[in-house]
Amino acid sequence: MKQALSLIALIVAVPAFAEEQRQLDAHEHGVGTLNIAIDGATVAMEFHAPGADIVGFEYAAESEADKAAIDAAVAILSAPLDLFGLSGAAACTLTEAHAELENEDTHDEDGHDEDGHDDHAAGEHDDDEEDHGDEEHDEGAGHTEFHANYTLTCDNPAALTEITFPYFDTFPNALEVEVQIITATGAQAFEVERDAPILDLGR
Amino acid sequence: MILRLAFASLFARALTVGMTTLAIALSVALFLGVEKVRTGAKASFADTISGTDLIVGARSGSVQLLLYSVFRIGNATNNVTWESYLDIAARPDVDWIVPISLGDSHRQFRVMGTSQAFFEHYRYRQGRQLQVADGVIMDDLFDTVIGADVAATLGYNVDDPIIVAHGLASFSEHKDQPFRVSGILEKTGTPVDRTVIVSMEAIEAIHVDWQSGAQIPGRSTPADVIREMDLVPQAVTAALVGVESPLQTFALQRAINEYSQEPLLAILPGVALQELWGIVGIAETALLAVSAMVVVTALIGMMATIFSSLNERRREMAIYRAMGARPRTILSMLVLEATVIAALGALLGVVFLYIGLAITQPILDSSFGLWLPIEAPTMREVWVIIGVVAAGAIVSLVPAIRAYRMSVADGMMVNT
Repeated sequence: MKQALSLIALIVAVPAFAEEQRQLDAHEHGVGTLNIAIDGATVAMEFHAPGADIVGFEYAAESEADKAAIDAAVAILSAPLDLFGLSGAAACTLTEAHAELENEDTHDEDGHDEDGHDDHAAGEHDDDEEDHGDEEHDEGAGHTEFHANYTLTCDNPAALTEITFPYFDTFPNALEVEVQIITATGAQAFEVERDAPILDLGR
Repeated sequence: MILRLAFASLFARALTVGMTTLAIALSVALFLGVEKVRTGAKASFADTISGTDLIVGARSGSVQLLLYSVFRIGNATNNVTWESYLDIAARPDVDWIVPISLGDSHRQFRVMGTSQAFFEHYRYRQGRQLQVADGVIMDDLFDTVIGADVAATLGYNVDDPIIVAHGLASFSEHKDQPFRVSGILEKTGTPVDRTVIVSMEAIEAIHVDWQSGAQIPGRSTPADVIREMDLVPQAVTAALVGVESPLQTFALQRAINEYSQEPLLAILPGVALQELWGIVGIAETALLAVSAMVVVTALIGMMATIFSSLNERRREMAIYRAMGARPRTILSMLVLEATVIAALGALLGVVFLYIGLAITQPILDSSFGLWLPIEAPTMREVWVIIGVVAAGAIVSLVPAIRAYRMSVADGMMVNT
C-alpha cells in the first residue's frame, strides 16, 4: 500500500510535464443515451443528448430566443418522469434532478478538475484551452450536449419492467435512445427508436 | 388396415425409403446441430463471466477487450501501465479490482498473471466461485494454479514442476525459473480450465533476465535471488472491477474512459456480450436459414421419390381401387407413408445428433472451449421435429392428390 501511495504521488506529479490532452467523446446527432442503474429502491439515471436533438442547434446561444430555448429545454429535462415513463406499479418518485448544457471543451476541463491534477498546471495551459474553446464557438463547429442526472426512489422496484418514451414526442429531432441498464443481475443494453418508443426490460 | 398396408408398402421398398429417411435424418440432425451450437455458444459465453461490473483495459473496442481479456480470443489489446491500474484501484467507488496479465504460455495453454483476489472475486455461471479440486491456491512466487483441462491434457499433478514459455509459441522457454503446480482447479467450462495461473510478481520474475524479448546470454539469476528482488509489476493487460454500488458503475466507467493520463476503456461485460451477439447474429441467422433450406430440400426429395414411386405402383393402386378401396383411402395411405418416412427421418436425425454430440463434445471443448451439454431435447427442438413431420405430410399431399385422381384410369390402361 505504501508503494501504491508513493506511485500515486508520482502519477499526480506527472501531468505538470504532460503535453496538452486532446480527446473527445462520441457524438451522434439523433441519438441520445440513457443509463439506468438500479440498487434496491434507488434508481439512478443519467441522460445525454446532442444539442441538435433537444433545441435544434449546437452553436453558442447568442440571441434571446436561443437562450430561452435552452432554458426551456433544461427545465423540461429536469422533469424526467414526463420524458421517460417508468412502469406505474413501480411507484417511482423523483428525489433529485440536475440538467445542463455542456459543450465538449468545458466538459473536458471538468474532467481535469475532477481528477484534481490540474491544481498546479501552468496558467498558460488553461489559457490555451480557453482560446481553443473560443475559436470553436466562433466557428460554430463545437458540439454541445445536454447532460442530466436523476435520482429516483421506487417503492416497488421489482415492478419496473417497462419504460415508455414520451421523450420522442417532446423532442421531434430525437430519433433513437441507447439505453443501458444495470440491475442486480447484470448489465443490459437496448436501443429504443422513435417508431417503437416502448422498452420492455424483460425482467 | 391402411396402417398395415402403408408399413408393408414401405417395407417392400426398403432401400428407396431408407435413403429418403437418411436424407431427412441428416438434414434434421444438421438443423438441430446448428441450433445446439448456436445456443451452446451463447450460453457458454454468457456463463464465463458474472459478478464483474467493469472490465478495464487499453482503449480498443469493447468486444475486442472482452474477447481478449476474458476469453483469450482475438488480437491482444495494448497493456495498461501499473500506475494507471493503481490509480483506478485507489478510487473510492472501486470495491475490488483484479489485475490480469496475459502474454506468456505454457505448452498450448495461456499463462495468466493475477492476484489472490481473482480466486475471491471471479464468478462464472451465475455467481459460482472457483474451487480447488486438488492442492491449494498459490502462495509462493513460483507457485501456479492450473485449470482442469491443463491438468488433464498434460497429466500434471500437484507439486509437479512446470516451465513457462515466453510469448505464445514456446520457441524460447523460460527454463531458469521452474514453477511448481500448487493447485488444480475444478472444471468450470470456462477459459479458466485452459489457463495456468501465476501471481503478477511471478510474471515479472520470469522476465528478470530477459531484455527486449530475448535472454541475455550467460545470465541466469537463481530463484533465491529473484525471491529477494522487489518485483513490482510493470503492466497489466486488463483488470476486472467490482463497484461499491451499481449506482456508481456508469460514473466510474465514464471516469475511466476519460482518464487523461492514458487512453483506457471500461466496458460493461453484459453489454459488450450483447454487442458481440449483435454482430454474430447476422451470420447465425444465415447459418440457420441454410440448414432450414437443407431440411426443405430433403422433404422435396421425398416428394420426388413418392412421385416416381407412383409410376411403379400404378398397378398396385389400380388393384386397390378394383378391390373396393376408395380414392380417399389411396390418398391417406400415401400421406401416411410419407408421414412415417418423415417421422422416422426426424427421429433418426435426433439419434444422429446425440451420437454426433457425444463424439464432438470433447473435441469442441478442448479446441474451442465450447461446452455443448447433452440433455433432453428442448421444447423448441420438439417443435422442429413436429414441424418436419407435418411438413412431410403436407408435401406428400401433392403426389397423393395426383394418385387420388388418376388411380383407376392410370392403372387400368393396357399400355403400361
